[in-house]
Amino acid sequence: MVLAGGRSSRMGTPKAALEWHGSTLLRRTVGILARATGGPVVVVRAKGQELPALPRDVEVIDDPREGKGPVQGIAAGLGALSDRADVAFVSSTDMPFLHPAFVRRVLRAVYEGADVGLPIARGFPQPLAAAYRTSLAPMAGQLVKEDRLRPAFLFEQCAVTRLDEVALRDDPVLAALDPELTSVVNINEPDDYRTAREQPAPEVTIQRFGVLAAQNRRAPETVRAATVAEAATAAGVDFAAGHVTAALNGDQITRDGQTPLATGDTVFFLSADAGG
Amino acid sequence: MPAGGYFGRALVVDASTGVSETLTLPDDVLRAYVGGAGLGAWLMHRLAPPNLDPLGAEAPLAYVFSPLVGTPLTTSAKFAVVAKSPLTGMLTDALASSHFAIAGKLTGYDAIVLRGARATPSVLLIDGTGARFEDAADLAGLTAAQAGARLRQRLGRGWRVAAIGPAGERGVRYATISHDGRHAGRGGLGAVLGAKRVKAIAVRAAATVAPADPDAVLAAARDLRARSFGPATAKYRELGTLANLLAFNAISTLPTRNFQAATFEGAPALAAEDLAAMRKVARHSCASCTIGCEHIYKAKGGRTTRVEYENVFALGPMCGVSDPDAVLAASALCDDLGLDTISAGGTIAWAMECAERGLIDAPWLRFGDADALLRVIAEIGARDGLGDLLADGSRRAAERVGGGSDAFAPHVKGMEMPGYEPRTLHAMALGLAVNARGADHNRSGAYEADLSGELDRLDGGAAHVAAAVETEDRAAVMDSLILCKFLRGVFTDPFTEWAGLLSAVTGWAVDAPELRRTARRIVLAKRVFNLREGWRPADDWLPERLLAEPVRLASGREAGLTPERLRAMIDGYYDARGLDDQGRPDQAQLADLRLS
Repeated sequence: MVLAGGRSSRMGTPKAALEWHGSTLLRRTVGILARATGGPVVVVRAKGQELPALPRDVEVIDDPREGKGPVQGIAAGLGALSDRADVAFVSSTDMPFLHPAFVRRVLRAVYEGADVGLPIARGFPQPLAAAYRTSLAPMAGQLVKEDRLRPAFLFEQCAVTRLDEVALRDDPVLAALDPELTSVVNINEPDDYRTAREQPAPEVTIQRFGVLAAQNRRAPETVRAATVAEAATAAGVDFAAGHVTAALNGDQITRDGQTPLATGDTVFFLSADAGG
Repeated sequence: MPAGGYFGRALVVDASTGVSETLTLPDDVLRAYVGGAGLGAWLMHRLAPPNLDPLGAEAPLAYVFSPLVGTPLTTSAKFAVVAKSPLTGMLTDALASSHFAIAGKLTGYDAIVLRGARATPSVLLIDGTGARFEDAADLAGLTAAQAGARLRQRLGRGWRVAAIGPAGERGVRYATISHDGRHAGRGGLGAVLGAKRVKAIAVRAAATVAPADPDAVLAAARDLRARSFGPATAKYRELGTLANLLAFNAISTLPTRNFQAATFEGAPALAAEDLAAMRKVARHSCASCTIGCEHIYKAKGGRTTRVEYENVFALGPMCGVSDPDAVLAASALCDDLGLDTISAGGTIAWAMECAERGLIDAPWLRFGDADALLRVIAEIGARDGLGDLLADGSRRAAERVGGGSDAFAPHVKGMEMPGYEPRTLHAMALGLAVNARGADHNRSGAYEADLSGELDRLDGGAAHVAAAVETEDRAAVMDSLILCKFLRGVFTDPFTEWAGLLSAVTGWAVDAPELRRTARRIVLAKRVFNLREGWRPADDWLPERLLAEPVRLASGREAGLTPERLRAMIDGYYDARGLDDQGRPDQAQLADLRLS
């Protein structure tokens, strides 16, 4: 679940629509969550809020009560998901370095019995980079009615597993792919955005197959790319023409160039007319 | 006066008596079924007695041409060979591309049907003077290529030959019929011809037929030719279908060791990307084709063979063999004997697993053993030793061996599975389960949807049902027009474009909606033939292994297909096709088939 309804007042422009390597911050966030969880993905927005283009399987719901803060958004999103999922990862839209390995590690805390998996990283609890049992929706809704709008009130009433940096890095995959826990770095002001945007794109591996591997280009290569389209450019592959697909880590296949990449990913480029 | 591109008649030859008769093909039937696989289905309804023995004398075997054969449209020199399959007991149709298509049609018939059986080995000759049989004792035991060459030498210029190899003569239930090195491969049509003691059929053109609008056909041919050189066919042109192998391995879609895994550690040794540079010696085109997908490789020792993904998959990863020379030799041996490589590989892989489990007393037969692979292929072709059991295919062999081996016999409806892993391709899983021919990738190309990125290949549902129906419909039209499926990527609005081609050739005002109805009719006609021959709902299913054992992806994720998910997709398919919950049509649908 992505909470996209904040006012972005310090940024001065809607954070959801900020450009990110040819895509947008919100597109990146929903893509990372879809990859990490297998979906469904729900975006909670303020009523009437304009959002950038999203994949068609992303569900957008309106937050029925504006200005009530994150617990209201959490209540709305968990309620929308409760008939399809037991657990949800709740994310803000402004964490451009969120890694699927981080999402999976945090979700595990709830799979192991907690109601909430709450990371405490880079000096702060991260309630908008946390896992929640979807059955908490009524409890969160009740807190909003009582005007108790801080996540801490919710945590008082349920079983919370707090994941400090040591606990997070105990996960060898996360420790290898996001050792600095940059997953929780969020951007609030234009300088934050500028600094984040200046960071190098994730290091990923690309490999071409079939006719794309002609002229001795079959061997895997390491490139920096934040999206499949950037990886295709680095691979010298014309991805936009429609005759090529990409398989991410040997798993899902996509033609969407905006599909986000994260450190450690492998992207296979295949002929779209695979088959015989 | 028949429509353009048609003679409006079929030649029906009785091998027992040597007598031929002409069957008139009404215009409404031709328009309803077009030609090729579609018209072949109608002919089988009309000419095959119910519950016949496919290897019995009464079984008809039909060569069915199409209105496009003989036009300059690229890839149109194709025909369908149609019969009740001795492998599946259901309808089978196998397509091939060859000059046989043009010479066969220009004998003056839209189809040539052979029924009955000879008392002694014979060849059937058809030209302007009619049909006659000649003795073929000198051809017995020859490979199809040898038989074809000797027959052409005997007959002289202008004759084109369809011939079976030793496997067809010996009734191997997945024997092929070969035409200039191109095979009508699946379903055991070579055994049907062999059971009639007909080693070969030779045809020579003697008639002409014109399209309704020659100028429009020529313009369409020029356009299609230009498009056939574009990126949509680059894969076939540059590396051939073997380009699939390494890509499928990367995405856990390469069936390995009888579907015990979906990736093969030996895949790189068989990859087109490397083998092509080392071993490719030529690239050929079929008759009337501008794509040129035939990639000819040379094995150590100098023997050349045509390489496709399916023969390398079936005789390589499926049997755990990674030595390219062994796989090329096995493929060449299958060609010599006249064996369908997919069924051969699938049946052998099953036998290897049985041997390793102690269910078959063949300690020499092990996954990965190239010598064992070559030995068992030879035994199958000769129906010798273990080969006699395996010559009947994995379903029958499993019934005889028992021990639970049916759970991992890699077939649907008795036909061995092609190189597409259903657990990681859910639309394809449905397509394989419900298709009338059995487990086959050419009648249901639903893998296209799985590999397109447009749907989640691991989460089969309504979108996968729609994709399976659509690709099956498209295949039905392409197999009836007939156009090569390697051309499919060049069509941006397929049904409309195909309707335009058919209209130009025939003079009918065919539009896309009509052609879609035609597609559904052809698909249903095949199903109804199977119903007549004893099809049961349980036949629309997949091997137990595929529904019980997940496979692991490179990402670490487990991928599987549950019986419940497959059931839901099959139910959705029946619903989309207007069938009842037992997969049966209603009376209105039956009436539309024009079978009475």
